[in-house]
Amino acid sequence: MTEYLIRRIAQSVVVIFLITIVTFLLIHAAPGGPTQMMLSPGLTPEVMEQQAKNLGLDKPLPVQYLKWVGGLLQGDLGYTFKNHLPIGELIWPRIGKTFILMGSAWLVSILIAIPWGIYNSTKVYGLSDQTASFISYLGFAMPTFWFGIMLQQYFSLKLDWFPLSDMYSRGHEGEIGDLFMHLVLPVTVLSLGFLASYMKYARASMLEVLDQDYIRTARAKGVVERKVVFRHALRNALIPIITLLGMDLPILVGGAVLTENVFNWPGMGRWYVEMAISREYSVLMAITIVTAVMVVIGNLLADILYSVVDPRVKLGKQGGKTA
Amino acid sequence: MSIDNTGLSGALSSQSTGPAPLDPKPVPPADSVVKRPPGPWVMLWKKFSRNPFAMGGLIVLLFFIIIAFLAPLLTPYDPAAIDLMNANLGPGATDHLLGTDELGRDIFARLLYSARISLLIGFSVALASVVIGSVIGAISGYFGGWVDTVFMRIVDVMSSVPTLFLNILVMAIFGTQIKYMILILALTSWMSIARLVRGNFLQLREMQYVEAAKAIGVSNWDIIFRHLLRNASFPIIVNATLMVGGAILSESALSYLGLGIQAPATSWGLMLSNAQEFMLIDPLQALYPGLCILVVVLAVNFIGDGIRDALDPRQQGIKSRRRLDKWRKTYSKSEN
Amino acid sequence: MAENLLEIRKLTAGFATEHGLVKATDEISISIGKGQTVCLVGESGSGKSVTSLAIMRLIEYAGGMILDGGIHFHGEDLTAKKQEEMRSIRGDRIAMIFQDPMSSLNPVFTVGEQIAESLRLHQEKSPGEAMKQAIELLRLVGIPAPEIRAKQYPHELSGGMCQRVVIAIALACRPELLIADEPTTALDVTVQAQILDLLRNLQEELGMSILLITHDMGVAAEMADRIAVMYAGAIVEEGSAIDIFDQPSHPYTVGLLQSIPGFEGERGGELYTIRGTIPPLGQLPSGCRFHPRCPHAMDICRSQEPPDFLISGQHRAACWLFEDKPVWSGTNERGGKR
Repeated sequence: MTEYLIRRIAQSVVVIFLITIVTFLLIHAAPGGPTQMMLSPGLTPEVMEQQAKNLGLDKPLPVQYLKWVGGLLQGDLGYTFKNHLPIGELIWPRIGKTFILMGSAWLVSILIAIPWGIYNSTKVYGLSDQTASFISYLGFAMPTFWFGIMLQQYFSLKLDWFPLSDMYSRGHEGEIGDLFMHLVLPVTVLSLGFLASYMKYARASMLEVLDQDYIRTARAKGVVERKVVFRHALRNALIPIITLLGMDLPILVGGAVLTENVFNWPGMGRWYVEMAISREYSVLMAITIVTAVMVVIGNLLADILYSVVDPRVKLGKQGGKTA
Repeated sequence: MSIDNTGLSGALSSQSTGPAPLDPKPVPPADSVVKRPPGPWVMLWKKFSRNPFAMGGLIVLLFFIIIAFLAPLLTPYDPAAIDLMNANLGPGATDHLLGTDELGRDIFARLLYSARISLLIGFSVALASVVIGSVIGAISGYFGGWVDTVFMRIVDVMSSVPTLFLNILVMAIFGTQIKYMILILALTSWMSIARLVRGNFLQLREMQYVEAAKAIGVSNWDIIFRHLLRNASFPIIVNATLMVGGAILSESALSYLGLGIQAPATSWGLMLSNAQEFMLIDPLQALYPGLCILVVVLAVNFIGDGIRDALDPRQQGIKSRRRLDKWRKTYSKSEN
Repeated sequence: MAENLLEIRKLTAGFATEHGLVKATDEISISIGKGQTVCLVGESGSGKSVTSLAIMRLIEYAGGMILDGGIHFHGEDLTAKKQEEMRSIRGDRIAMIFQDPMSSLNPVFTVGEQIAESLRLHQEKSPGEAMKQAIELLRLVGIPAPEIRAKQYPHELSGGMCQRVVIAIALACRPELLIADEPTTALDVTVQAQILDLLRNLQEELGMSILLITHDMGVAAEMADRIAVMYAGAIVEEGSAIDIFDQPSHPYTVGLLQSIPGFEGERGGELYTIRGTIPPLGQLPSGCRFHPRCPHAMDICRSQEPPDFLISGQHRAACWLFEDKPVWSGTNERGGKR
């Protein structure tokens, strides 16, 4: 177990290291590079040079890279160009706000999608299955931001049931009830996307399991159909589902770019777009790295979860079924 | 062996005449006219054309392609022409079919010209992804070893970066030009094709005919591109079709965020971005472009699924599956 | 006529496919007496497994259906039963073991839990009691250290062990009939012999009947009281094991026996093979289904399907070569143990 974990973590470190290089090179490949961005416009060349020196931008790229990675390792995500604020302090509250939004949407969609998908696997091509399939198609083909705009138009502007945007109404900051009302529309938008893929996945996973020999064995034993589905099949079908959920964990911190923009939600996604438009490269780099680390951790968690739910997979031993 | 395409419908239509279909099909006598078996493309089309969703998707997509090409003939208006005197007109009020937006631009004309951008980006991204993914997957799967390891690590890294984040980053750094958008969308979506082609090659590489080709001195590149890639072509097509929809959605998202298509050019995503600001004045403005995206992406996805189902011998259309169920109930001796 | 434990009469079962209805078994009749072992022998694709699934009424879950005929168990027609009624018979009075033991066991439950489940279902035992009996069953099927094994998962056991567990599950409620579908095919040769020995011993101990499905004439020779040879969905010859091996009558049976190495013919000589392959279901030739591969094919074979001719007492074959013999009445007298 530990040996396997160490190997997986080592692999993850390599992946993250590669991501830092790619991100760094990408930023420095920009026309003009970050130098121009970081320096105040309208300066004389001499002052510019002096300022570049102060920021360490005159050094060769490898040196700059090492300095940046060295900072990352010490938990220093750098500073914003414009106001020279520490990125670390700016990023965490935004991660939290995104987490509230995405976490709710994730929970709602899991609670709906997985039982529904499982039910549909037992009644393939029935009315419920067809409805679910229709919703899946919509979920995959609908631009989420458009769905958000439509909901805003109908439920906020026309019916005035829910607030149009933001996280809290003015003067109600920190109130749970107010937060809930603000969550309804964006959570609906985000859930549709999750719902589409989780439902499809749960159904497919169940169908595959229901086709296995051991299900036939259970029926040959005289197990009632309800128990065949919920006892024998479900536990096996949940294994890949849980893995998928684990892999999706990182979306919880960074996956709501569009919805946050539609609903003016003060989280990571909206901040990222703002920073991209104002070309705050160091913030973009920091967010990319933080998200990548989350992805890698999510994958690792998924692997560990997998070994917990599936007795066949003993981490460290070969021969287990792979995802 | 004869492949009887009318098997199901033939058997089903004779349902009312009694248990006739119970009789096993006789093997056609040897002296009957030997027809050449239809090629894979013909088979594919036959199955595809029997799927109403897939055919519907194809018709819708063709419709959008045609109106995109004929846009100048279908509307007298220039989609970029600003006419502040006639801003925010409702649909049908004047000879502006769907009215005008906040700058007095004709909404119908903008929708038509936007179709050009969306389809252009959708298809170019899919094409570029197929090229990148096939080459990398092919090399990786054919040569294996460290080449494979390196490429697969790259695939891992690329898949670890949230696509939309990377797209935004690149568009912000390099500037919002269509060529950059196509490039970055392709660079962030080739991985699935690479995995698919690699997997296919790992299997095919061991096949006899590859050995045979090698033995008669066919070069590695010839084997990859002439022999193996052709074998992987059907799954690639399915994947690429679904990618068209994804690219159209990504384009609209980037344009909506202000990091994609810029005025005076027009795109459905950009139209939505404008429309959201004027939601209170004209709620309908946001409806049209979104519907266009939805319908086109749905159409493309239906086509992709249709091809996939036509390729998969286990898949049958929903309709025929239902008929089989009904049929089963009619003939089965015991109740369930 | 004495009563048989299981009497299959003119059973037709099949599948609905895109190319029409395909019959996997065509009016087959088999009877199994109490304590008897009947072997159903044939190539893969001959409809053996469909027959077993039909008896269990599991065929509906595999997308197939029983089209016609009857399966009489203690005189009750199983084809007329509802699935709920079948559930109380399955695993209790009729049990089944399958070809691939590794995939037949649920990977997320311990083997003890899987055996105990049967007991809890049909004998309403408490969990503790059921587990105790499960351990006893593991001992019965010859698994050493059953207390430890009961707590293990299927992947921790070898293939032979798994098959013993599958047998323990099947025997948990002391069934009257055990259907064994190729129980040794997926196992090593040495393990095969052990499993067959085990089945024979358990049969003596528990007095059950066995329907053994196999493609291996050698297995049939070792186990069977009666043998039914199946070809392309029909039983082409049926008789006691002695009848079949001493006086094989249908050309297909003769071919099968001749293709066993060292059974007939000289050592080192060329091995006999039956030319051609079994026709795919739904593409049967006209007349006798075996005629395209038959060395004795006559004109009548191409046009007319042969009825079952009675060769001797309880030995029948569906072949025009025996046209001079009487036509079989459709039922067997109850056959005693060999």
